[in-house]
Amino acid sequence: MEEMIVVDGNKAAAWGAVLSRPMMVAAYPITPQTPLVEYLSQFIADGVLDADLVEVEGEHSALSVLQGASLAGGRVFTGTSGQGLAFMFEPYIRTAPLRLPIVMVIATRDGISPQCVWGGQQDAVTVRDGGWIQIYVENNQEILDTVIMAYKIGEDPEILLPVNVCYDGFYLSHMSEAVKIPDQTLVDRFLPPYKPTHVKLDPETPMAVDPLTPGILFTQYRQGHLEAQEKAKAVIERVDEEFGHLFGRSYGGLVENYRMEDAEIALVAMGSPCGTGKVAIDRIREKGVKAGLVKVRSLRPFPRERLLDSLKGVKAIGVIDKNVCFGWGTGVLYVELSAALQSLSVPILDFIGGLGGSDITFDHFEFAMNRVLRAMKEEVTQTVHWFSLD
Amino acid sequence: MSVFNQLAIHPEKCNNCLDCETACARIKTGTKNPTRSRIRTIKNLREPYYGPVVCLQCTEPDCLNICPSGAIHKNPETGIVSIDEERCVRCLLCTLVCPYSGIFYSAKDKKVIKCDLCDGDPECVKVCEPGALQFLKHAETYREWASKEDLFSPGLSACMGCNSELIIRFSLRILGKNTILATPPGCIPGFGAVGYSDTAGARVPIFHPLLSNTAAMLAGIKRYYQRMGREVNVVAFAGDGGTADVGFQSLSGAVERGENILYICVDNEGYMNTGIQRSGTTPFGAWTTTTPVGKTSKGKTRESKNLPMIMVMHGAPYVATASAAFLGDYGQKLKKAMKVKSGVAYIHLFSPCPTGWRFPPEKTIEVSRLAVETNFFPLWEYEKGALRFTHPVEHPRPVEEYLRGIGKYSHLNKKQVDEIKRISEKRYGMLKTLMQK
Repeated sequence: MEEMIVVDGNKAAAWGAVLSRPMMVAAYPITPQTPLVEYLSQFIADGVLDADLVEVEGEHSALSVLQGASLAGGRVFTGTSGQGLAFMFEPYIRTAPLRLPIVMVIATRDGISPQCVWGGQQDAVTVRDGGWIQIYVENNQEILDTVIMAYKIGEDPEILLPVNVCYDGFYLSHMSEAVKIPDQTLVDRFLPPYKPTHVKLDPETPMAVDPLTPGILFTQYRQGHLEAQEKAKAVIERVDEEFGHLFGRSYGGLVENYRMEDAEIALVAMGSPCGTGKVAIDRIREKGVKAGLVKVRSLRPFPRERLLDSLKGVKAIGVIDKNVCFGWGTGVLYVELSAALQSLSVPILDFIGGLGGSDITFDHFEFAMNRVLRAMKEEVTQTVHWFSLD
Repeated sequence: MSVFNQLAIHPEKCNNCLDCETACARIKTGTKNPTRSRIRTIKNLREPYYGPVVCLQCTEPDCLNICPSGAIHKNPETGIVSIDEERCVRCLLCTLVCPYSGIFYSAKDKKVIKCDLCDGDPECVKVCEPGALQFLKHAETYREWASKEDLFSPGLSACMGCNSELIIRFSLRILGKNTILATPPGCIPGFGAVGYSDTAGARVPIFHPLLSNTAAMLAGIKRYYQRMGREVNVVAFAGDGGTADVGFQSLSGAVERGENILYICVDNEGYMNTGIQRSGTTPFGAWTTTTPVGKTSKGKTRESKNLPMIMVMHGAPYVATASAAFLGDYGQKLKKAMKVKSGVAYIHLFSPCPTGWRFPPEKTIEVSRLAVETNFFPLWEYEKGALRFTHPVEHPRPVEEYLRGIGKYSHLNKKQVDEIKRISEKRYGMLKTLMQK
């Protein structure tokens, strides 16, 4: 029996963790993730979650403690944001090559300087090459559901990779929505206990973890890691489908297509802007424009086949980037998508906005779609547009 | 448990009275003939030596190994090495290979003779007035450890003279198989403790944490086993850099949270594995490649971080200093540390580095011993809220004796030596003050 509650994104993430039954939570409070740590602490204090709470002195230790517990064989949970993720970077880039299926939510936040505590996806996209799976979600229900799915994906014996569930700081972390809490017995059926054998520190089965590893063997490890990322594409789709069968909600797996069937123009976005984007699509369709939206859920692995499939019929594309890609003069999603769509000769525009907590409004979407419509007919003179600045 | 006892010799006390020879001949043969004694007094070998020689009942006796007729046995219960006369072919090879010259041929008896410790009450010890002979009954402690399985692989490739290999092999004998080891980047994994390629360096679970997160990772492992209801020793062998510098925050957090881990800092006073750079525990005046000796400065200009004392003040329930020159002392401390249940047990192990400190590799233990005997590195422990010296040195040797043999101090001027003295005395004084309460 599902219960409906009204909670912010951080609490939805906490509920996702509770239902996944981790044996340990270690987290350090940082804006905008802070309430998540408070919620989890209270859940553990109230006995709602039976787990060790490790009140670490920083994010570096948060992930390190969890690496230890995961190496011993435990399922673990954490979350962070912005500078916290930056401070965690050293253990972060080691988690995936160690093949520890840790789940960590990121309440995304923009980078400093200048000083800024507000939303933006810069933190999460900056670590996209740390070897983790990264899934970006649109609303609070999707946060909760994806945390549960993240364990199932990461712990799959073919995958064994850590997963980030990325939700927009403040826009989701602090915004309340109605969220359904899945039934625990159903979640238990969906998500069996984690029992690792691939890497485990146990005196009964002695194992040397991370001996010095020379080049060719090292290269094999990297190759295996990349293969696991590729295989994760199918697993993410399958797990999303299974989740849909059991709970009645699914999210399109790697990519969600919104009104794309006959679309001539498409917007591509990640995270909470997709909500506003879908309304904008509805409105422009009322005016007779055949527009659709593609929501990229998985940035890592990058779903190039699915995107090619979604976008092969369109005549112009606009990418909404809540981040920047230094050195390209664009956003990150623009660069990634352009690489995936090499075989299509359609104009792709980039729209950068929502940085430092600024809004991406309906007007911005309208502006973007007008530019994309123009690109369908005229030669493109400006590829990158900045919301509120252009 | 088998009790292994042993004769110990203090040649400096021997006055060459030969009473031991007489007593041995009397008890074993009923005569006064010293050529039938199982103990002899010798003098003027290559190095000035003057004192009794006798069988030391070796753990792995050369005489036993070389005997072509299988006539020599070591009793597994008593440890005593004995000769089976029926099997002995009188080839005398045993008398030639004994490194202690402790086994003899008696022409009168026409057989090889050796000490059998007189059923645990040696006659020679009773008659030795100056105390040059001692019957050690506590040697069983050492034997007990030595008889335990070596849990490290052979062929660890530490620098010549490094005591870390001795320390980890010795420690694992005490810790046993129910142990998970963390060795952050540094000399210990550097010489192969974790392993290389697809080979493992240890027979227990072992891993490389980051240089910066040893205590945190161990805390996670320990908590997992605590939840599972399993007692597992979760132990770090970390260098001083990973402890005092980049790993300090992680360790401090673990101490504050009362994580039940055993943390051993093997302090060689710098980043030796990467080629001798200074660390927070490099002492004042010491040369390293990043505290070089030049025109404007000569060695490190700051005193070392007093890590074990910081751990005491931090509230760690058990803290001790230790040295490979005093292995028995270290062994007792390790056993105590293993029993701690209320937080981080911390042992700070002094580890002289022949490569980085510039002294001959055969001097490592001597340097370790001098550091203790000059009060440069006093041995103490802190438990149940009280500090005590475990090897009190009331009349320390001058610190110059310690500094003299070590290359990294060879440039020191008098002012710098005085400063080192001042720091040592200050720290020793602080320990004394804290003990007086």
